[in-house]
Amino acid sequence: MPALDRSRRDTASFLLCLALSVAGLFLPPRTSDRVAAGVRRTVLAPLVWLQQRAVEGRTSRGRFDAAEAQRDTAVLRSQGLDRLQGENAALRLLLGLGKRPELRFVPAEILHQPQPTDGRSLLLSAGARQGIQPFQPVVAPEGLLGVVRTVDEGFAVAMSWADPEFRASAVTADGAVSGIVAATAAESPSLALLELRGVPFRDSVAVGTMVVTSGLGGVYPRGIPVGTVLAQVRVQEGWERVYLLRPAANPSSAVHVMVVTGTRASTVAPAFLADTAARDTQPAPVVRPPVVPPAARDTVRRRPARRAPAADTTPAAVRTDTTPARPDTGATP
Amino acid sequence: MTYARGARLRFTLVFLLLLGLQFYVRPRLFDARVAPDFLMLGLILFAIRSRPGDAAILGFLIGLTSDALAPTRFGAGALAHTVVGYLAAWGRAVFFADNILVTAGVIALGVWLRNLILLVTAGTGGNLLFEMAVWSPLQALSTAVAGVLLVMIFRDWLAIRLEE
Repeated sequence: MPALDRSRRDTASFLLCLALSVAGLFLPPRTSDRVAAGVRRTVLAPLVWLQQRAVEGRTSRGRFDAAEAQRDTAVLRSQGLDRLQGENAALRLLLGLGKRPELRFVPAEILHQPQPTDGRSLLLSAGARQGIQPFQPVVAPEGLLGVVRTVDEGFAVAMSWADPEFRASAVTADGAVSGIVAATAAESPSLALLELRGVPFRDSVAVGTMVVTSGLGGVYPRGIPVGTVLAQVRVQEGWERVYLLRPAANPSSAVHVMVVTGTRASTVAPAFLADTAARDTQPAPVVRPPVVPPAARDTVRRRPARRAPAADTTPAAVRTDTTPARPDTGATP
Repeated sequence: MTYARGARLRFTLVFLLLLGLQFYVRPRLFDARVAPDFLMLGLILFAIRSRPGDAAILGFLIGLTSDALAPTRFGAGALAHTVVGYLAAWGRAVFFADNILVTAGVIALGVWLRNLILLVTAGTGGNLLFEMAVWSPLQALSTAVAGVLLVMIFRDWLAIRLEE
């Protein structure tokens, strides 16, 4: 083939690939999600399977000690949980509230990719087969990571808090001040942090205050740590304050996550007893502490010989997690 | 078997090795942001021994896989890899670099340029400067080191002539 023809062929190939790439940029999100899922399910299936095995291998070996220490810490903290649950149930009955909706979760691993945008959209190793659906929260041990965007049979794609489109209703840990959490605005310098926006001008939040999800909106349950207040960044036109938050969880370094399922109740009726008139005519209910079936208890209780039993565990017998309870990760996705 | 077909087969084997490294070894390495990008390495090694058109096609395919696995903005990965593949092959033809350090530089520059195009196309969310000044150079460096090792080991298979 003459050199000129080959050169033309090269240019044509380049322009064709370029045109297809640009066309991909302007595809509607639903179509592009479908194409991406199709590629994942077919051509990339064996490669993603390989990566999943590698991540699981790394998790099960390299992180076993850390996971065991975290579990022991959880055991220590849950010593008085049965009594607390009993008291809580009694108080809810006295207030006329029904049983609190239980949170269930699906464990998953993040399959990190080498692209610099990896921290913004996360490929999870669990999908519809495990019960994951769109708009379910993704939580790391340290706090909120993001929300599920699309779901395949065996995989899910989550949008992390670092995505410019991410929003979550949040409140300070004491419940005094509420706002909307989003990634820092584009004009902000360097590090990707979070902002707590929409705080009323009359309210102020102290540096170091923990911010958690408020539970409003029906996507994120209340109480998931979002971040810690670093500073007030700006006051917008004298009616709202915006605070900078250090995120609790870092999407770029997180490996093992939980997808919280069962948070979206179709009706809130089960959360309430019958109306007060009906309640007043009823005899006072007998309050019993909840009974936890033995099968549902953790492995520590099932294996008392290996680890200290929960009933008479002394703090010295349980290995404490070496990591702080809520570490400031300095997240940089 | 002709020489050209044998060379193609050998490169295919090296590329399969890189695929294995990318999906089985890379997740076990250190921080994902710093670990070498073996697919990008495969693209540049292919580009410096091929015609620009072929390199653009392989770049497009690799970019499509990256868009499927990290779908922040579909098409951004394909665009970035296509441009880098084409430029690497064209630059190789123009500058004729047969030096190990130049090869390492082309690999590092390719990774850095890919990250820049990807971030600009996908929208940066405010951390372009930090990404391009810290994480991208580190990833470019680790990929270049991996590339140098690979070229030293598979010098004959990759049909790359290196000046001593």
